Amino acid sequence: MKTMKSIRFGLMMATMFGGAAVAQDGEPITIGIPVGLSGANSVVAPAVVQSSELAVEQINAAGGILGRPVAIQVVDDGSGATGAQSAFNTLVFQDDVDVLISMETSAARNAGLPIVEEGEKPYIYTSFYEGRSCSPNMFVNGWVPEQQVPPVVEKLMADGARRFFLIGSDYAFGRGMLEFSRQYIESKGGEIAGEEYLPMDGSDWTAIISNLRGSGADAVITSTAGGAPNVTLTKQLRAAGNAIPYANLAVDEGTAKAMGADATGILISASYLTGIDNPENKAFIEAMTAKFGADMRTPNDLSVPQYEAIYLYKAAVEKAGSTETDAVLAALPQVSFKGPRGEIAMSRQHHAPLTMYLGEVQADGSVKIVTHLPDVDPGAQCPDL
Amino acid sequence: MALLLDIATTAALLFIVAAGLFVIFGVLKIINFAHAAWLTIGAYTTVLATGMGLDPWLSLPLALLVGGLLGALTEVAIVRPLYRRPLDAILATWGLGVVIVQLITLGFGRDMQMPPALMGGTVNMLGTPYSSYRLFLLAAAVVLGVVFVLVLERTRLGLNAQAVIMNETLARALGMNTGRVRMITFMLGSAIAAVAGVLLTPLSSVDPSMGISWLIGAFMLVMVSGTSVAALALACLCFGAAQVLVSTWVSPILGSVTVAVLCAVMLRLHPKGFARD
Repeated sequence: MKTMKSIRFGLMMATMFGGAAVAQDGEPITIGIPVGLSGANSVVAPAVVQSSELAVEQINAAGGILGRPVAIQVVDDGSGATGAQSAFNTLVFQDDVDVLISMETSAARNAGLPIVEEGEKPYIYTSFYEGRSCSPNMFVNGWVPEQQVPPVVEKLMADGARRFFLIGSDYAFGRGMLEFSRQYIESKGGEIAGEEYLPMDGSDWTAIISNLRGSGADAVITSTAGGAPNVTLTKQLRAAGNAIPYANLAVDEGTAKAMGADATGILISASYLTGIDNPENKAFIEAMTAKFGADMRTPNDLSVPQYEAIYLYKAAVEKAGSTETDAVLAALPQVSFKGPRGEIAMSRQHHAPLTMYLGEVQADGSVKIVTHLPDVDPGAQCPDL
Repeated sequence: MALLLDIATTAALLFIVAAGLFVIFGVLKIINFAHAAWLTIGAYTTVLATGMGLDPWLSLPLALLVGGLLGALTEVAIVRPLYRRPLDAILATWGLGVVIVQLITLGFGRDMQMPPALMGGTVNMLGTPYSSYRLFLLAAAVVLGVVFVLVLERTRLGLNAQAVIMNETLARALGMNTGRVRMITFMLGSAIAAVAGVLLTPLSSVDPSMGISWLIGAFMLVMVSGTSVAALALACLCFGAAQVLVSTWVSPILGSVTVAVLCAVMLRLHPKGFARD
């Protein structure tokens, strides 16, 4: 059943660009990318692989890292713990890669982390997540609840909402996000009208929606598992005629677009939206379009951090002057990279302050950026690091 | 009021989803584990039909046709040799379900599909605005139930089906073409399941594995209902009510396993379930 798919990509690129004015001698620096090509993440993983390919192609064309070419090694982790164990083992001990950079489910990350520590490799985790995962070997450049929730709550409150109803899928990420939302709303003087969860494979939200209607809430915030539960909940909310302000902490731009009329008016909060207006984002989207054409997967809040993380690793290796794990780990918090999401540095307890964008889904499916909060601090994620 | 409507429409949804499985199990005594795949096929019929610019409502008759044809094909190719080996039939239909889901994944990708909804909006029910689509489902379930009873009681096919249910050897000895009765039954069951899939699209995400989450509930309900339409309707109403009440007052997480747990308890205490005979 399990498909193990490995791609030796960078080497090929290195030979293609070998004739150009680039120094590409020596052993390639290999970046291991364990990612969910099958399972729950299979919808988003292709975009992550594409942005990695672009980063590596650009770096090699510009002379590699310390004059060495860069290669990537993609391994399917099946989006879960078991697959991640074998994927991380393969990359760390068999392929002996120099670094691991990837987005993963929380279960896969937790399974892979001990292997990274045992193999003494640097690891950059590029997914947003529920927060507070700490390891001397791991750096994170995606958002945590402390960064994603405040813009949403503040916008809803500015529009007059006081009583909030929270709906989620019953798993670590869903509960973690809503737990933080509840504390944040209460600290801002708001009220929680209700908080309800359905199992991840649940498909009938009827009773929760009736409780929402009866609760007198004037805004609803949801944090479901991505994909099916998110769509099912949104459809049923809309079918029930629910028209109160609706913020969805788990929907990405592509899904919102595909949902059509049902998504209109949904608030989403992200560190990356395709509509971000800066030269880096324009250049990134142009390069993606040029490289992948019609096959391009829409860049998202997972694939862009992946792209930036590869550049952050490049900066750290150049600062350290080597790919030695200790030297790279010491350099990682000190370097920064200006990418599509702005200036990124993983300087706060292995996490990154991020500019957060608040988007509102328009009737035509596009996402309009309503407001943004610059440099939102991730808070005390790992006080011991 | 909203609670009563929730109970009625939840029961209706359970009835619609379980109906196709019920027809096949009731007459053929075969548990069709490809049922989930048939729901998915119905939903993807909507995706195809609306993709070609057809009205979403047209996908109902289309799914009936597609489900029926594929059902007939399945009966002839896979199920026919297995009537005397019900355990093998479970394996075969389960395998068929896996194959169908993979074929759909190959054809459409893993991504979710977003066909336009059949109908939206709400209706004012005694002061409570309520989803008009859920009310439509309630009507659809009632119509489906009435048609079931009429077909069974008032038509040649229903009479033949009852004969096959009661004593197949005798039915065949009396010159009845029991093979044809079986094929038509399987066709009908598949067609109804595909239509149920279409009816799910406004409430559920449409992706290759969408049917799975509905399978266990439908399976349990059919187990406690045996061969009686009235028993199935009663089971859907009782367990649908239990699900809504537990979800509303206790916890939606417990509510989502209520149907499975209650059915298991019932089968333990009263093996015939809601069936009288």
